[in-house]
Amino acid sequence: MKEKNSDILERAGHRDGMTVPEGFFDAFAERMQSALPENPAAERTAQVLPRSVWDRIRPFVYMAAMFAGIWCMLKMFTLMGDQHVDLSIDNNEILTEALSDDNFIYDHFVDDINQREIFDTMYDDSIGIEDIEILENDSILPN
Amino acid sequence: MEVPKKIGNFESDMSREIPKEDRYLIERLRQPESCRDAFNEVIRCYSEPLYWQIRRMVENHDDAADVLQNTFLKAWQSIENFRGDAKLSTWLYKIAANESISHLSRERKRLNISIDEEESYLIDLIEADEWTDGDEIALKLRKAVASLPEKQRLVFNMKYYDEMKYERMSEILGTSVGALKASYHLAVKKIEKALTE
Repeated sequence: MKEKNSDILERAGHRDGMTVPEGFFDAFAERMQSALPENPAAERTAQVLPRSVWDRIRPFVYMAAMFAGIWCMLKMFTLMGDQHVDLSIDNNEILTEALSDDNFIYDHFVDDINQREIFDTMYDDSIGIEDIEILENDSILPN
Repeated sequence: MEVPKKIGNFESDMSREIPKEDRYLIERLRQPESCRDAFNEVIRCYSEPLYWQIRRMVENHDDAADVLQNTFLKAWQSIENFRGDAKLSTWLYKIAANESISHLSRERKRLNISIDEEESYLIDLIEADEWTDGDEIALKLRKAVASLPEKQRLVFNMKYYDEMKYERMSEILGTSVGALKASYHLAVKKIEKALTE
């Protein structure tokens, strides 16, 4: 019985036995085409509107505004940066006075230099011990 | 005079690639100037295959013609939403399937019949259908198919009558291939059972 039923699917041959009145599809197509309503979204043709003065200058105005903004920001950062303490020697009387004192230089700069490094450098520059003694005698180097 | 049904289906439209003619039509549908003419061409090309899909669902010629008209109207109204990355036939088939199911649902409400009573409603329509070629086997099968739930009937129609591939059906119905295979297998079993009763 089951085989017989499966046979029906085969015997039907993928046909459903349905029909339509003659000329139905042609008539339907014609009727449908004439019944199509307006579709503004799909059928709207893009209109080219004349450009106003504002439309034309707008990009330049925007660009100018952008540069003005950048300039303002830079100016603001510069003003904020001006609040730091001036440490330059020229404008610092105490430092200028100290640096003009030889003893200060000798105590705080020359004496801090490692003599061994000086000798190594001089040796590299082909300056011998006798030359160093001469320099010591001339009081150029600290004892 | 009755016109025998042509095998009007999508069997020549099985590949996933968009056919050349479709691409040309889609391109014209996107242009506002050629949109209406292109859609008229869509109507001429797809009326017949879509009609048979709908007719197998609603089981009545007049209702099928109405649903087909609604399908084209829906497609026309949402033509700008059709992105063209799917086949035109897939998109139309989807709309037709949804419209068919909506029509049946509306009819159920209108006639105040429950979803369980739909089978007898459809069988009444099949028996009253004057547009048939009198093929007894085909008629018997139609009645058995009417016992299936809507979605399963859709799957059976696509597979059995249209001989559509599962991959294509999956694109249209948005269901996995595995689920469609299971659904078709179950549908065949139910039809066999209905035929024995």
